Amino acid sequence: MVIKPLREVEPLERGRIVKVGGRKGIRRRLLDMGVVVGAEVEVQRVAPLGDPLEIRIKGYNLALRLEEADNIQIEIFEGKL
Amino acid sequence: MTKKKITIALAGNPNSGKTTVFNNLTGARQHVGNWPGVTVEKKEGSCTFKGYTINVVDLPGVYSLTAYSLDEVIARDYVVDEKPDVVVDVVDASNLERNLYLAVQLLEMEANLVIALNMMDVAESREYQIDVKELSRLLGTPVVPMVAAWGKGTPELLDTVIAVAGGYQKVSGINLQYDHDVETEIVKLEKLISDSSLAEGYSPRWLAVKLLEEDEEIIGKIRQT
Repeated sequence: MVIKPLREVEPLERGRIVKVGGRKGIRRRLLDMGVVVGAEVEVQRVAPLGDPLEIRIKGYNLALRLEEADNIQIEIFEGKL
Repeated sequence: MTKKKITIALAGNPNSGKTTVFNNLTGARQHVGNWPGVTVEKKEGSCTFKGYTINVVDLPGVYSLTAYSLDEVIARDYVVDEKPDVVVDVVDASNLERNLYLAVQLLEMEANLVIALNMMDVAESREYQIDVKELSRLLGTPVVPMVAAWGKGTPELLDTVIAVAGGYQKVSGINLQYDHDVETEIVKLEKLISDSSLAEGYSPRWLAVKLLEEDEEIIGKIRQT
Protein backbone atom coordinates (compact mmCIF):
# COMPACT_ATOMS: atom_id res chain seq x y z
CA MET A 1 0.00 0.00 0.00
CA VAL A 2 1.55 3.27 -1.16
CA ILE A 3 0.68 6.45 0.69
CA LYS A 4 2.11 9.74 -0.53
CA PRO A 5 1.26 13.44 -0.49
CA LEU A 6 -1.03 14.62 -3.27
CA ARG A 7 1.75 16.79 -4.67
CA GLU A 8 3.66 13.63 -5.64
CA VAL A 9 0.71 11.90 -7.28
CA GLU A 10 1.16 11.68 -11.06
CA PRO A 11 -1.52 12.66 -13.59
CA LEU A 12 -4.08 9.87 -14.06
CA GLU A 13 -3.00 8.12 -10.89
CA ARG A 14 -5.95 7.55 -8.61
CA GLY A 15 -6.31 7.02 -4.92
CA ARG A 16 -8.22 7.66 -1.75
CA ILE A 17 -7.63 10.47 0.71
CA VAL A 18 -6.36 9.21 4.05
CA LYS A 19 -5.44 12.51 5.68
CA VAL A 20 -6.22 16.19 5.23
CA GLY A 21 -3.92 18.57 7.07
CA GLY A 22 -2.88 22.18 6.75
CA ARG A 23 -3.57 25.48 8.44
CA LYS A 24 -6.90 25.65 10.18
CA GLY A 25 -8.65 27.91 7.69
CA ILE A 26 -7.25 26.18 4.62
CA ARG A 27 -8.07 22.76 5.99
CA ARG A 28 -11.61 23.82 6.78
CA ARG A 29 -12.13 25.18 3.28
CA LEU A 30 -10.82 21.96 1.77
CA LEU A 31 -13.19 19.93 3.92
CA ASP A 32 -16.08 22.22 2.94
CA MET A 33 -15.33 21.55 -0.71
CA GLY A 34 -15.45 17.79 -0.28
CA VAL A 35 -11.74 17.09 0.17
CA VAL A 36 -12.39 14.67 2.99
CA VAL A 37 -10.90 11.40 4.23
CA GLY A 38 -12.26 8.53 2.16
CA ALA A 39 -12.95 10.58 -0.97
CA GLU A 40 -11.50 9.27 -4.22
CA VAL A 41 -9.27 11.55 -6.24
CA GLU A 42 -7.64 11.44 -9.61
CA VAL A 43 -4.97 13.91 -10.60
CA GLN A 44 -6.08 15.36 -13.93
CA ARG A 45 -3.14 17.50 -14.92
CA VAL A 46 -0.41 19.72 -13.61
CA ALA A 47 0.33 23.27 -14.73
CA PRO A 48 3.50 23.78 -16.79
CA LEU A 49 5.50 25.06 -13.86
CA GLY A 50 4.17 22.31 -11.61
CA ASP A 51 1.82 24.51 -9.62
CA PRO A 52 -1.18 24.38 -9.38
CA LEU A 53 -2.47 20.90 -10.05
CA GLU A 54 -5.98 19.88 -10.94
CA ILE A 55 -7.77 16.98 -9.33
CA ARG A 56 -11.11 15.35 -9.91
CA ILE A 57 -13.06 14.75 -6.71
CA LYS A 58 -16.71 14.01 -6.00
CA GLY A 59 -17.60 14.56 -9.65
CA TYR A 60 -15.98 17.94 -10.16
CA ASN A 61 -12.57 19.37 -10.89
CA LEU A 62 -10.62 21.35 -8.33
CA ALA A 63 -7.33 23.18 -8.72
CA LEU A 64 -5.02 23.17 -5.72
CA ARG A 65 -1.77 24.92 -4.93
CA LEU A 66 1.13 22.57 -4.23
CA GLU A 67 1.25 24.08 -0.77
CA GLU A 68 -2.25 22.74 -0.14
CA ALA A 69 -1.59 19.47 -1.96
CA ASP A 70 1.34 18.87 0.38
CA ASN A 71 -1.01 18.42 3.30
CA ILE A 72 -3.25 15.87 1.65
CA GLN A 73 -2.16 12.24 1.92
CA ILE A 74 -3.31 9.77 -0.71
CA GLU A 75 -3.42 6.00 -0.67
CA ILE A 76 -2.72 5.07 -4.29
CA PHE A 77 -4.90 2.49 -6.02
CA GLU A 78 -3.00 -0.34 -7.65
CA GLY A 79 -2.85 -0.27 -11.43
CA LYS A 80 -3.48 2.75 -13.59
CA LEU A 81 -6.74 3.18 -15.43
CA MET B 1 -52.11 32.69 7.23
CA THR B 2 -51.91 34.74 4.09
CA LYS B 3 -49.02 37.08 4.02
CA LYS B 4 -48.85 39.16 0.89
CA LYS B 5 -45.25 40.17 1.49
CA ILE B 6 -42.56 37.53 1.47
CA THR B 7 -38.83 37.90 2.03
CA ILE B 8 -36.57 35.25 0.60
CA ALA B 9 -32.81 34.85 0.82
CA LEU B 10 -30.83 33.26 -2.01
CA ALA B 11 -28.02 31.05 -0.82
CA GLY B 12 -25.74 28.73 -2.76
CA ASN B 13 -22.21 27.73 -3.72
CA PRO B 14 -20.18 30.06 -5.91
CA ASN B 15 -20.97 29.34 -9.59
CA SER B 16 -24.24 27.58 -8.83
CA GLY B 17 -26.16 30.15 -10.89
CA LYS B 18 -27.38 32.13 -7.91
CA THR B 19 -27.01 35.43 -9.69
CA THR B 20 -28.85 34.12 -12.75
CA VAL B 21 -31.73 33.01 -10.54
CA PHE B 22 -31.64 36.40 -8.82
CA ASN B 23 -31.80 38.23 -12.15
CA ASN B 24 -34.64 36.00 -13.36
CA LEU B 25 -36.63 36.75 -10.24
CA THR B 26 -36.05 40.45 -9.97
CA GLY B 27 -35.31 41.65 -13.49
CA ALA B 28 -34.38 45.30 -13.38
CA ARG B 29 -35.88 45.86 -9.96
CA GLN B 30 -32.56 45.57 -8.17
CA HIS B 31 -30.82 47.59 -5.59
CA VAL B 32 -27.13 47.20 -4.76
CA GLY B 33 -25.79 48.26 -1.40
CA ASN B 34 -23.47 46.99 1.26
CA TRP B 35 -23.93 44.70 4.20
CA PRO B 36 -23.79 46.93 7.29
CA GLY B 37 -20.25 47.58 8.46
CA VAL B 38 -18.46 45.58 5.79
CA THR B 39 -17.63 46.11 2.15
CA VAL B 40 -19.38 43.03 0.87
CA GLU B 41 -21.93 43.83 -1.77
CA LYS B 42 -25.54 43.30 -0.81
CA LYS B 43 -27.99 42.90 -3.64
CA GLU B 44 -31.71 43.17 -3.08
CA GLY B 45 -34.57 43.11 -5.49
CA SER B 46 -38.24 42.38 -5.62
CA CYS B 47 -40.90 40.91 -7.82
CA THR B 48 -44.63 40.49 -7.76
CA PHE B 49 -46.17 37.13 -8.45
CA LYS B 50 -49.80 36.07 -8.09
CA GLY B 51 -50.55 39.01 -5.85
CA TYR B 52 -47.52 38.56 -3.62
CA THR B 53 -44.67 41.01 -3.28
CA ILE B 54 -41.51 38.98 -2.95
CA ASN B 55 -38.40 40.68 -1.66
CA VAL B 56 -35.24 38.83 -2.71
CA VAL B 57 -31.91 39.15 -0.87
CA ASP B 58 -28.84 37.70 -2.59
CA LEU B 59 -26.44 36.20 -0.04
CA PRO B 60 -22.71 35.81 -0.76
CA GLY B 61 -21.82 32.54 -2.52
CA VAL B 62 -20.38 30.12 0.02
CA TYR B 63 -19.49 26.45 0.32
CA SER B 64 -20.27 26.26 3.98
CA LEU B 65 -21.60 28.26 6.91
CA THR B 66 -18.69 28.19 9.31
CA ALA B 67 -17.17 31.38 10.67
CA TYR B 68 -13.97 31.28 8.64
CA SER B 69 -14.71 33.96 6.10
CA LEU B 70 -16.66 37.16 6.17
CA ASP B 71 -18.92 35.91 3.38
CA GLU B 72 -19.90 32.88 5.41
CA VAL B 73 -20.58 34.90 8.53
CA ILE B 74 -22.76 37.34 6.59
CA ALA B 75 -24.77 34.57 4.95
CA ARG B 76 -25.21 32.76 8.22
CA ASP B 77 -26.10 35.80 10.30
CA TYR B 78 -28.70 36.82 7.77
CA VAL B 79 -30.41 33.45 7.91
CA VAL B 80 -30.22 33.22 11.70
CA ASP B 81 -30.93 36.82 12.71
CA GLU B 82 -33.17 38.17 9.97
CA LYS B 83 -35.14 34.96 9.58
CA PRO B 84 -36.26 35.33 5.98
CA ASP B 85 -39.60 33.63 5.29
CA VAL B 86 -37.89 31.22 2.92
CA VAL B 87 -34.26 30.43 2.14
CA VAL B 88 -33.74 29.33 -1.45
CA ASP B 89 -30.57 27.29 -1.85
CA VAL B 90 -29.43 27.30 -5.47
CA VAL B 91 -27.82 23.92 -6.04
CA ASP B 92 -25.73 22.97 -9.09
CA ALA B 93 -27.31 19.70 -10.20
CA SER B 94 -24.13 18.74 -12.04
CA ASN B 95 -22.16 18.98 -8.80
CA LEU B 96 -24.70 17.65 -6.37
CA GLU B 97 -22.56 16.13 -3.66
CA ARG B 98 -20.50 19.22 -2.91
CA ASN B 99 -23.52 21.52 -3.16
CA LEU B 100 -25.68 19.49 -0.80
CA TYR B 101 -23.24 20.10 2.03
CA LEU B 102 -24.49 23.67 2.27
CA ALA B 103 -28.10 22.50 1.93
CA VAL B 104 -27.66 20.18 4.89
CA GLN B 105 -26.17 22.98 6.97
CA LEU B 106 -29.13 25.21 6.16
CA LEU B 107 -31.50 22.42 7.18
CA GLU B 108 -29.54 21.97 10.38
CA MET B 109 -30.17 25.65 11.11
CA GLU B 110 -33.86 24.85 10.69
CA ALA B 111 -34.21 27.33 7.86
CA ASN B 112 -37.40 27.23 5.83
CA LEU B 113 -35.55 25.79 2.88
CA VAL B 114 -36.45 25.38 -0.77
CA ILE B 115 -33.87 23.83 -3.07
CA ALA B 116 -33.56 25.30 -6.56
CA LEU B 117 -31.95 22.41 -8.40
CA ASN B 118 -30.28 24.46 -11.10
CA MET B 119 -28.31 23.50 -14.22
CA MET B 120 -30.43 20.45 -14.88
CA ASP B 121 -29.36 20.71 -18.52
CA VAL B 122 -25.69 20.33 -17.61
CA ALA B 123 -26.51 17.38 -15.35
CA GLU B 124 -28.47 15.77 -18.17
CA SER B 125 -25.69 16.33 -20.70
CA ARG B 126 -23.43 14.41 -18.31
CA GLU B 127 -26.07 11.72 -18.21
CA TYR B 128 -26.77 12.18 -14.53
CA GLN B 129 -30.22 11.01 -13.62
CA ILE B 130 -31.56 12.80 -10.57
CA ASP B 131 -34.67 11.49 -8.88
CA VAL B 132 -36.03 14.87 -7.79
CA LYS B 133 -38.93 13.41 -5.79
CA GLU B 134 -36.66 11.09 -3.86
CA LEU B 135 -34.15 13.87 -3.21
CA SER B 136 -36.98 15.99 -1.85
CA ARG B 137 -38.16 13.15 0.36
CA LEU B 138 -34.67 12.42 1.70
CA LEU B 139 -33.96 16.05 2.52
CA GLY B 140 -37.46 16.80 3.80
CA THR B 141 -37.63 19.94 1.73
CA PRO B 142 -39.15 20.96 -1.63
CA VAL B 143 -36.84 20.61 -4.63
CA VAL B 144 -37.54 22.57 -7.82
CA PRO B 145 -35.61 21.55 -10.96
CA MET B 146 -34.46 24.53 -13.00
CA VAL B 147 -32.40 25.72 -15.90
CA ALA B 148 -32.02 29.33 -14.82
CA ALA B 149 -29.94 30.21 -17.87
CA TRP B 150 -33.03 29.55 -20.02
CA GLY B 151 -35.46 30.94 -17.46
CA LYS B 152 -36.84 27.45 -16.92
CA GLY B 153 -38.38 26.70 -13.53
CA THR B 154 -38.78 30.26 -12.28
CA PRO B 155 -42.62 30.21 -11.95
CA GLU B 156 -42.44 26.80 -10.26
CA LEU B 157 -39.85 28.15 -7.82
CA LEU B 158 -42.07 31.12 -6.98
CA ASP B 159 -45.10 28.85 -6.50
CA THR B 160 -43.09 26.71 -4.11
CA VAL B 161 -41.76 29.73 -2.23
CA ILE B 162 -45.30 31.03 -1.75
CA ALA B 163 -46.54 27.62 -0.62
CA VAL B 164 -43.73 27.28 1.92
CA ALA B 165 -44.02 30.87 3.18
CA GLY B 166 -47.76 30.42 3.64
CA GLY B 167 -47.30 27.13 5.44
CA TYR B 168 -49.15 25.14 2.75
CA GLN B 169 -46.04 23.13 2.06
CA LYS B 170 -44.01 21.94 5.01
CA VAL B 171 -40.25 21.75 5.33
CA SER B 172 -39.74 18.83 7.67
CA GLY B 173 -35.97 18.83 7.31
CA ILE B 174 -33.71 15.94 8.17
CA ASN B 175 -32.70 14.46 11.43
CA LEU B 176 -29.03 14.13 10.73
CA GLN B 177 -27.36 11.69 13.09
CA TYR B 178 -23.65 11.95 13.80
CA ASP B 179 -21.74 8.99 15.14
CA HIS B 180 -22.39 7.85 18.66
CA ASP B 181 -19.71 9.83 20.56
CA VAL B 182 -20.55 13.11 18.86
CA GLU B 183 -24.27 12.52 19.17
CA THR B 184 -23.97 11.93 22.94
CA GLU B 185 -22.27 15.31 23.37
CA ILE B 186 -24.75 17.08 21.10
CA VAL B 187 -27.67 15.77 23.13
CA LYS B 188 -26.03 16.86 26.39
CA LEU B 189 -25.30 20.36 25.12
CA GLU B 190 -28.69 20.63 23.48
CA LYS B 191 -30.37 20.00 26.79
CA LEU B 192 -28.21 22.58 28.60
CA ILE B 193 -28.97 25.13 25.90
CA SER B 194 -32.72 24.45 25.88
CA ASP B 195 -32.86 24.86 29.65
CA SER B 196 -31.12 28.22 29.51
CA SER B 197 -32.07 31.46 27.81
CA LEU B 198 -29.44 30.91 25.11
CA ALA B 199 -31.82 29.19 22.80
CA GLU B 200 -33.75 32.35 22.02
CA GLY B 201 -34.12 32.55 18.27
CA TYR B 202 -31.65 29.76 17.63
CA SER B 203 -32.05 26.06 17.15
CA PRO B 204 -30.54 24.44 20.28
CA ARG B 205 -29.25 21.53 18.26
CA TRP B 206 -27.55 23.81 15.77
CA LEU B 207 -25.91 25.78 18.59
CA ALA B 208 -24.72 22.51 20.13
CA VAL B 209 -23.15 21.41 16.83
CA LYS B 210 -21.45 24.79 16.39
CA LEU B 211 -20.07 24.69 19.94
CA LEU B 212 -18.57 21.27 19.28
CA GLU B 213 -17.02 22.63 16.09
CA GLU B 214 -15.42 25.31 18.31
CA ASP B 215 -17.00 27.98 16.15
CA GLU B 216 -15.48 31.16 17.54
CA GLU B 217 -18.33 33.42 16.52
CA ILE B 218 -20.93 31.32 18.28
CA ILE B 219 -18.73 30.88 21.35
CA GLY B 220 -18.37 34.68 21.44
CA LYS B 221 -22.11 35.19 21.19
CA ILE B 222 -22.79 32.73 23.97
CA ARG B 223 -20.17 34.39 26.20
CA GLN B 224 -22.01 37.66 25.78
CA THR B 225 -25.28 36.29 27.06
